[in-house]
Amino acid sequence: MFSRFFSRVGLLAAPFLALIMAGCSKADMTVRQSTLDPKGPVAKVQYDVFMDTVWLVVVLFILVGGLLVYAVIKFRARPGDEDAPRIEEGHGNPLVEIGLITASIGALVIIAIPTLSAIWYDDDVPAESVPTSKLSAWYPRLEGAKENYAKVVEEQVLEIDVIGKQWWFRFEYPQLGLTNDAKRSVPNEFVIPKGKAVRINLRSEDVIHSFWIPKLAGKVDLMPGRKNHMWIQGDEVGHYYGQCAEFCGDSHAYMLFRVEVVEPAEFAKWVQKQKTDAGEVVAGTKAEKGKALFAAKTCVMCHNISGHYGAGAFAPDLTHVASRKSLAGAWLDNRDPKAQLAKEQQTQNTESSVEVDKAVLKANLIKWIGSSGVATGADGKPTKDVKPGNRMHFYKMFNVAGLTETQQKFTADELDCLAEYLLTLK
Amino acid sequence: MSETADAHDAPTSTGIDHKKLIMWLFLASDCMFFGTLISTHLLYRKLYPSGFTDAEGHQRFIQNLFNIELTSFSTFILLMSSFLMALAVSAMHKGEIKSFRRNVLGVIFFGLIFLGCQVFEFTHFYHQGLTIQNSVLGSTFYVLTGTHGTHVAIGVLWLILMYFYSFTGKLGGHMGALDVEVAGLYWHFVDIVWIIIFTAVYLVEYLGPNGFWGTGLPAVTK
Amino acid sequence: MSHDSHHDPVACKTELAPERSDLGLIRPDRTTGWTDWLTTVDHKKIGILYGAFAMFYFLVGGVEALAIRTQLARPDNDFITARMYNQLFTMHGTTMIFLGVMPLSAAFFNFLVPLQIGARDVAFPRLNAFSLWTFVFGAFVLNASWLFEFAHLAGWLNSFDWHKALVYTDFAPANGWFSYAPLSGTFGQNGQALRFTGVGTDFWIIGIQVLGIASLAASFNFICTIINMRAKGMTMMRLPVFTWMTLITAILIILAFPAITVALIELMFDRAFGANFFNPSAGGQPVLWQHLFWIFGHPEVYILVLPAMGIVSEILPTFSGKALFGYPIIVFSGAVIGFLGFAVWSHHMFTTGLGPVPTAAFSLLTMAIAVPTGVKIFNWLGTIWGGRVRFTPPMVLSLGFIWMFMCGGFSGVMHSSAPADSQQQDSYFVIAHFHYVLLGGVLLGLMAGLYFWFPKIFGRMPNAPIAYLASGMVILGFNLAFGPMHYLGLAGMPRRTHTYHAGNGWETWNYVATIGAYILGAGVFLAFANLAWTAFKGKKCSSDPWGGRTLEWSLPSPVPEYNFAQAPIVATRDAYFEDRHGGKRIAYENDGGEAGVHMPSQSWMPLVASTGFLFAGFGMPMMAMGVPHAGWIVITGLGVLILGIWLWAVEGPGGYMLKTPAAAGSPAPAETVAH
Repeated sequence: MFSRFFSRVGLLAAPFLALIMAGCSKADMTVRQSTLDPKGPVAKVQYDVFMDTVWLVVVLFILVGGLLVYAVIKFRARPGDEDAPRIEEGHGNPLVEIGLITASIGALVIIAIPTLSAIWYDDDVPAESVPTSKLSAWYPRLEGAKENYAKVVEEQVLEIDVIGKQWWFRFEYPQLGLTNDAKRSVPNEFVIPKGKAVRINLRSEDVIHSFWIPKLAGKVDLMPGRKNHMWIQGDEVGHYYGQCAEFCGDSHAYMLFRVEVVEPAEFAKWVQKQKTDAGEVVAGTKAEKGKALFAAKTCVMCHNISGHYGAGAFAPDLTHVASRKSLAGAWLDNRDPKAQLAKEQQTQNTESSVEVDKAVLKANLIKWIGSSGVATGADGKPTKDVKPGNRMHFYKMFNVAGLTETQQKFTADELDCLAEYLLTLK
Repeated sequence: MSETADAHDAPTSTGIDHKKLIMWLFLASDCMFFGTLISTHLLYRKLYPSGFTDAEGHQRFIQNLFNIELTSFSTFILLMSSFLMALAVSAMHKGEIKSFRRNVLGVIFFGLIFLGCQVFEFTHFYHQGLTIQNSVLGSTFYVLTGTHGTHVAIGVLWLILMYFYSFTGKLGGHMGALDVEVAGLYWHFVDIVWIIIFTAVYLVEYLGPNGFWGTGLPAVTK
Repeated sequence: MSHDSHHDPVACKTELAPERSDLGLIRPDRTTGWTDWLTTVDHKKIGILYGAFAMFYFLVGGVEALAIRTQLARPDNDFITARMYNQLFTMHGTTMIFLGVMPLSAAFFNFLVPLQIGARDVAFPRLNAFSLWTFVFGAFVLNASWLFEFAHLAGWLNSFDWHKALVYTDFAPANGWFSYAPLSGTFGQNGQALRFTGVGTDFWIIGIQVLGIASLAASFNFICTIINMRAKGMTMMRLPVFTWMTLITAILIILAFPAITVALIELMFDRAFGANFFNPSAGGQPVLWQHLFWIFGHPEVYILVLPAMGIVSEILPTFSGKALFGYPIIVFSGAVIGFLGFAVWSHHMFTTGLGPVPTAAFSLLTMAIAVPTGVKIFNWLGTIWGGRVRFTPPMVLSLGFIWMFMCGGFSGVMHSSAPADSQQQDSYFVIAHFHYVLLGGVLLGLMAGLYFWFPKIFGRMPNAPIAYLASGMVILGFNLAFGPMHYLGLAGMPRRTHTYHAGNGWETWNYVATIGAYILGAGVFLAFANLAWTAFKGKKCSSDPWGGRTLEWSLPSPVPEYNFAQAPIVATRDAYFEDRHGGKRIAYENDGGEAGVHMPSQSWMPLVASTGFLFAGFGMPMMAMGVPHAGWIVITGLGVLILGIWLWAVEGPGGYMLKTPAAAGSPAPAETVAH
């Protein structure tokens, strides 16, 4: 009885896998970091190659799996077999073997060809942007585009330097003057114009990280001591989610980032905005007190706020912190979660995004700074770490003024003032 | 095939003694070991052909450090030790235990000279400013040659123990000759590896007017 | 005549007068109890010990896996901390690979290979014991990191000065089983050797190094045994397939492990002495670590898989009642897999920016390795075809192996395409892939082997209904746990992240996967409990309950310590099966009987030598912690190691003659024997 039952265990696996496939509705295919919903040429090419392998594998699965199931049922032992004469010992059939080997090689050639063309496609940054509609799925390079690739002039392509650190990404636009040296770098979230190929230069300042925006391109690592690059192009306006994909220490799971694909005109505006300094803080408000605390508690040693404080270069630039949709390496979301969910459902699109919610942002600021060892909670103890090991924990190293620990730490009230100040940095 | 019933002398499927076979297997593994170390060194030489910076901040070239005459001498000594090792093995096969002792003592002596040269070389290089810490070159050089030196030292220790063991009278007959032969295999291998290291780490730096890697100074500037 | 001590043949070694070694020490001569197990040189007992330790560590690794899955069941969960999670997945991977699968494979090598080739023991019985104990102590060292970690978390270490001075307080390794530099290595100039991780990494380095020595020693021994100790008539192309796969695995180990040994030495020099091999601030190239690691790491995958393939290649013919289809092709494809296994390592590094040419080359080579793997599946199918398939527990598990391994192979083909892989690399898709290969494949194969050979090992039959139930739970739970991970990976969930936000669409399938993991865990536990129970209380069975094909089934169960009362001479492949069902295919040599069989003496020395690794392995991370006088522990360890090897060398191999049952009914060597 048992053997009859379990002879079907193998059979169960097939419908089981089919069930999983059927369970994946369209909504499941377009989730925030889905690789099955490409929104740019690089991801599209990778998706197409992937689907080639999928179809090949499905055919093989049905063939080999079907034969296996058939053989197991057809050739099962039956009552009375014990008395039957032994089966004649055979040792294989060379023709069958050679045929199957040849067929396997043939099957692999089918995926080898698109693989090879896609490898070079992903590596060569095009001089001009590539309309996705024109992409032949398999032979993008051969479609009269060769000259295009040959004259890759780097100046023609928008270049973005991505610097990975434990555990956040810094973005710089050297051609546009948005660099860390110029006190204009952009942490966690960056913006690219729609339909334009962007060259991404990948650099790391400590360990290996990996840059991955599933809907725009597969990942490439940021190797310390090496100069890697990749290119992306966003063909649809939207808010895209990315994440570090190489294990990089304690808070690896919190190393997220976002990219906003906008219309070119919007992009120009955004660049202009990044070049503005922080505005004046209204006198006599909590924010003004917070501004003073920012310097007094040594935050200023690492963080830059152009127009107010210019010493820091090590930590994320805070000049426009209140305009960003995320905080703490994009782990904390500054948008109203309910409104965001409603918008995604309404537009049927996970790239659509609501604006920053001020209350959420303030709560996040307090939670984030309060948890990083630099503040005492209501009970005088540090609150639970949002991001273990983050560099704010090393605040004592920057205590040049000889403050006591209590002096250097924020109380709950001071933290509130600081948050008010940061909220003004739009 | 021998007629003896002793399991340890029992004929093997291939006719090769177990001990000899396992030593060949170990040496195959050791080939990969040294292959990896030598590759590491050569990869970094290709990547950083210009030597290293010493404690005073001077750019130094590896040819400035090398005392190629000394290293050639120690290489020659190690080669000769292999010759003596072959004589020792041969003596053992003939059952000439005294000749074996004489030759093995020579191998030990030559091995110690080689190690002495290496110790001198390391000290000299260290004083010239090349340390394991101040450059990738220092790391790869010391670890590669040091690992080889460790192999030589283990071999010397093995032979010393074998030398004294021979006085107990238990090192004899077919098994004794086999033990010595196996030690000989190891010793020859370590010797061959040194020939490769000597070529790939030392001699290659003198190829071409600017050194093989392109940016080194001519070897004559000392 | 050698210097071995000889005695008159005895019926049992306890009858021997206390025997003195060449050192003058009394050799251990117990047949039961602690002394026996600690000093044994019997390949069967060593195999059982390997198996027991491996199954224990399987459960340890399984508990680690369940903790991981529990943490991931819900989004934004805080069941365990980020660091604990990182330590768990590091130790889960390391434990399963080095302390679970490899030693369980070694258990089969030990128990079966001499029996299958008609030998009385391995070529170097004491070296075999040394491999075992070195493995055991390497595993202790690796897991000792947990003891320090828990002591640290409990606050027991806080009062020590050295503890206060530590910058990083991760005691269990938290750098992944791949330990990518520079996260596992150093940064800073001129030998500052600043680090990203604490002494956990040092425990990991020394633990893996010691385990590597154990694997290398065992592999030398097995290659030697298989090449040199085959019974008369047992030509290479008559070897059982499992023995063939053992040979290929052992060759892979001796050629692949040196790369990781060197990499670990270099990493150790970086961390302990401020060298710059992988230190990017001083010009070291972290990518070199990846190359060295994967030159070892990819063959390692085949080191794990090939033994299971060998096991399945023994089980399928037995329960199909028919010879293995395409024996030469199966053997040859195994060798091709081993060879190509050294040429595909960089497919683990497609995202590191190798440049298009290497990426393309490794992409194509990776596709090529699918061909010999596919050939094996075709041949297994051919074996079933036309047979009479009996659904015994080992057969059910073997069919599960083929099915799951095939799925894992298919997702492997998807990875081989580098552009597709750039989306899948380091995502849950990869986790699904290699668990289908290593769990659905290897673990099912090894479990099949356990159920298949347990009657031979203990002479007792595992309880079949429980075996079916456990197999069903394992296969069902496994698919439930890892099937959804294909989707999770494609939905963009990266590996090695201890938590994730709600809203990414990953919640449902993570929850399902966790449920599956618990079913799987319960299934494995049930299967192992069934086996443990069988070893002591199971129903006794005949010496050949399955209708086996190879020589081990010709022996009584449990197998006597001399294995073969008379050395066999075989005339064909599957000689035992042919012999039973047809003409005379096995003859016996005229040895054994009253003249006795030469048996090796037991020895303490392998254990003593291995203990040196235990001390040295404990001492080195303690030096890194800054524990005072820890250096002396290391020196003691090295001293014990050298002393143990020296005593081992000079004590002499010993040996005695053991009487075997009279050669009643044993035929004279038959003329049918072809040499």
